[in-house]
Amino acid sequence: MSLLTVNDIHTYYGNIHALKGISLHVNEGEIVTLIGGNGAGKTTTLNTISGITPATEGQVTLAEQDITTMAPHNIVRAGVVQSPEGRKVFTRLTVRENLEMGAFTRTDGGIERDLEDVFKRFPRLKERENQLSGTMSGGEQQMLAMGRALMAKPRILLLDEPSMGLAPLLVKQVFEAIEYLNRQNGTTILLVEQNARMALEVANRGYVLQSGRITHDGPAKELQNDKAIIEAYLGG
Amino acid sequence: MQETTDSGPSGSKSRPKRALSFLRVQNAYAFIGLVLIVIFAWVFFVIEIEPQFYLQEGERARYAWDTFISQFIIGLAQGSIYALIALGYTLVYGILFMINFAHGEVFMAGAYIGFFAINAAEQSGFLESQTALAILLTMGVAVMGSVIVAILLERIAYRPLRGAPRLVPLITAIGASITLQQLFLRLFGSSPRTYPRISLFVGQGMWGCEPVDGTTVCEGIDLISKSYDVLIFNQEVRIRPFFFVILFVSLLLMSALWFFIQRTKTGKAMRAVAEDKDTASLMGINVDRTIVITFMLGAALAGAGAVLFALYNRQVTPFMGFIPGIKAFTAAVLGGIGNVPGAMFGGLFLGVAESVFPSALGLPNQLKDVVAFGLLIVFMIFRPTGIFGEVLSEKKA
Amino acid sequence: MRKMILLICVLALATVGIAPLAAQDDMMGPSVMLAPGEDLVIGFGAALTGEGLAPFGIDIRRGVELALEDRPTVTVDDVEFNVALDVQDSMCSPEGGQTVANRFVSDDSIVGVIGLMCSSAAEAAAPIFDEAGFSTISASATAASLTTSDFTSFNRTVPTDAAQGLAAADIIVNVLGATNVAFIDDGSAYGTGLVDVIIDAYEELGGTVAIRDAVTVGDTDFRALLEDISATDPDLIYFAGFNAEGARLIEQRFDVGLEDVPFMGADGIYGSELVDLAGDFAEGVYATRPIPASSDELDAFAERYIETFGEEPPSAFNTNSYDATNLMLDAIEAVGYIDDQGDLVIERETLSEFIRSASFDGLTGVIECDGTGECSSADIGFYQITDGAFVQQELEMMEE
Ligand SMILES: Nc1ncnc2c1ncn2[C@@H]1O[C@H](COP(=O)(O)OP(=O)(O)OP(=O)(O)O)[C@@H](O)[C@H]1O
Ligand SMILES: [Mg+2]
Repeated sequence: MSLLTVNDIHTYYGNIHALKGISLHVNEGEIVTLIGGNGAGKTTTLNTISGITPATEGQVTLAEQDITTMAPHNIVRAGVVQSPEGRKVFTRLTVRENLEMGAFTRTDGGIERDLEDVFKRFPRLKERENQLSGTMSGGEQQMLAMGRALMAKPRILLLDEPSMGLAPLLVKQVFEAIEYLNRQNGTTILLVEQNARMALEVANRGYVLQSGRITHDGPAKELQNDKAIIEAYLGG
Repeated sequence: MQETTDSGPSGSKSRPKRALSFLRVQNAYAFIGLVLIVIFAWVFFVIEIEPQFYLQEGERARYAWDTFISQFIIGLAQGSIYALIALGYTLVYGILFMINFAHGEVFMAGAYIGFFAINAAEQSGFLESQTALAILLTMGVAVMGSVIVAILLERIAYRPLRGAPRLVPLITAIGASITLQQLFLRLFGSSPRTYPRISLFVGQGMWGCEPVDGTTVCEGIDLISKSYDVLIFNQEVRIRPFFFVILFVSLLLMSALWFFIQRTKTGKAMRAVAEDKDTASLMGINVDRTIVITFMLGAALAGAGAVLFALYNRQVTPFMGFIPGIKAFTAAVLGGIGNVPGAMFGGLFLGVAESVFPSALGLPNQLKDVVAFGLLIVFMIFRPTGIFGEVLSEKKA
Repeated sequence: MRKMILLICVLALATVGIAPLAAQDDMMGPSVMLAPGEDLVIGFGAALTGEGLAPFGIDIRRGVELALEDRPTVTVDDVEFNVALDVQDSMCSPEGGQTVANRFVSDDSIVGVIGLMCSSAAEAAAPIFDEAGFSTISASATAASLTTSDFTSFNRTVPTDAAQGLAAADIIVNVLGATNVAFIDDGSAYGTGLVDVIIDAYEELGGTVAIRDAVTVGDTDFRALLEDISATDPDLIYFAGFNAEGARLIEQRFDVGLEDVPFMGADGIYGSELVDLAGDFAEGVYATRPIPASSDELDAFAERYIETFGEEPPSAFNTNSYDATNLMLDAIEAVGYIDDQGDLVIERETLSEFIRSASFDGLTGVIECDGTGECSSADIGFYQITDGAFVQQELEMMEE
């Protein structure tokens, strides 16, 4: 049963035609990965779903609801949360406040418990709880961004390169967290990754994006074995 | 927001001169302390040491401690009002990187609307019977008036221009400022309106009773209008308790604002929006709404400040927002625009400087505006980031 | 160095030598021509907006309006022309004066100007009017310098501050017995000019200036300034400026312990507006102003004013502007002539000459222009606010 459906969307930056008709869907409970080279349009796809760069053509639907032209904060309320690329933590808020911002739209009573969960998963964040996040290292900020995403508890989480710039050990931790979210919380995930190998490892299905178009799609296992993809994205 | 002082090596790359190098002290609170010490040392020199060299026997120096103390307190009162207005500039700048030059008129609107409220209260006798309550209600009405003007301003003048080059909303702000002045001029005329003179007595019996016409009257002290001769540091000075009321109420309001920004969810959302609007919206924060709230907060402080100002100086005109407006803007820049404690300290500092410096430097009081804007220039050269050190230029729009 | 001086001499000679030649070029001088049936337009400039000033400006305009009600037309050689008024807000600043002056001189059809209201505006406007050969008659610009700066365009039907200043200095020393006076002005041409005149006379009479300082127009908190004043132990505070700032100063004296020191001002604070603004605090405040002549005619005029505009005049300037308007219209009727084409011609230079030597019985007394632009010579009256209104004071002794 498809939770998020993207149907033939076109997105422009001024004259630049960044997305040239992209269609994809993510089923309830799935991890779907979106891979592609630099400038392929991965971030733009996520931003179009989130309403930051709305599509000029095509539709985005969440369950039965058309969210194509909704304002970003309403899309979040509808259940689609994005953790943007390049950390984008609020540097002038403390670590704890950043995590609280992750749970901004939540009204359930589980926020405190989830905070403790995040701190357990990333003990470094606990140590820095009341420190301004801008004073933390890049990797720590990336952890915080992941923690903030964990706090959101959305129906579908869009992750844009969550492992970028992390040491191998931490990359592993991030992917563990992704799997945990999916298995334990049942969160549906659309994952954008440069690290295609790891991404296809955890994903059920994948899409390959090139110059604003989908060139391949299929179950993760199949893509992992596709020669063209191995050459282009999995480093031979 | 105050912690930003220790981030960034502001100003260390290009230091034009070694003179006035104390102006570069990184920590804001150390800086404030240093400036105070320098001022006090200078005043001490002028009052205690310098006269010994030129004063004739039995002659009294023009400038003495009583003048200094009085002017310092007067400056604090004036500075409190600057600070309340300056916060409006700084909040909006912090979130939109835009200088809301119509903020002085938001202040003026509050004073006018408060005037009608307090006038009605006076006519109905309510002011006489329930003075404290009537003043609080006046403040409430003035705050609402300012807030409504600010909401309209944001909605009509600024929101459609969000994302336009920075100069565009600036010009619009100046236009909005003139429009508001002219609107109030046309509506209410150019003759000044005066707030009633109000007495609010507290502490009856604490200061002794006096027999008047056969009965004993225990007046207490009038918090608003009367002034009293008191001894401060052994100097007889004339004090109007309202000086301290202004200071106290302003500090209270500023603490409330600080609490709101630091502790409440909306306050945190404001800070998140100030830093990165797109990411904030990805958290589900309604950016437009948060911006409106920011305008409302600034306006509420200006409205409350307007009533304090009008109870203090009594005179209300359509142009009254202009001078406090530019002074408060100066204060916001001195404090470090975009920075909340900066606006607070900047306002108090400017008020005191304006009041104390001309006499302490042996200049005519006429030059107080020169002193104020001169300070601005000194800061622009030696500490362009203001007291609390946010860099003005390297802001993402 | 020698070369420099030489150069300056040559330049000076050149300008002196060329100026008459240039003037000769244009023997006729500028003039106004009106075809029959056209309106004769007179300019009017006063501060019609601004704190505490607009009531004065409006009052002055009303005086002009009443004069035009009496004389809606001028008649030259039996041809009648309607008089129209071009009203401009010249504010109370040099910029305002320049703007309005430039506007009027660029319009050939403006015959003359009633105004400008404030000395600062008039002073900045005068050179512009001079250049264009215009004649202006002000009902309220009183700065002494206006008639001592060789302006050719400036005339007034209100006594100069020189007179008011001399009288005020005399009153300060000989009536109020003050010899350590704090002087404050508002930085305007009127305020500084008046204080300059008073201080000269006052020091001559043996007084010492305790302190001289100024306020910024539009400011409201003068307590720090009053603290400075308080430190000098003055026996009188003199303020040359207008109501808004005057009222604040009067009131804020009480916040710094100067409430027992008498406060005195001039015609800038004379009027009911001051009492409206300062309330009870204004009780006991002194002011001087030119005494409006008292006559039955004047009483009738005051009644007519109240009937027409529904309120007491906020100042006496309406009588001065009434006279100014009549002076202007008299002059136009006297010097205007109808040329061969049947057009009305008014040469600006003859108009100016006529005004500068005119003399007639006006509402404010005898109007007699002395050739420098000074047309009024009313006596100066001394007033004190008693029970919420200015009351004229008897002067026991004045001239010794
Ligand atoms: N704000 C913008 N203005 C103009 N062009 C843009 C903008 N953002 C992205 N683009 C262009 O759109 C195309 C897609 O960019 P996008 O950021 O979606 O790529 P990406 O797949 O996320 O790349 P990467 O792996 O480097 O993050 C690129 O050609 C890029 O130059
Ligand atoms: Mg990207």
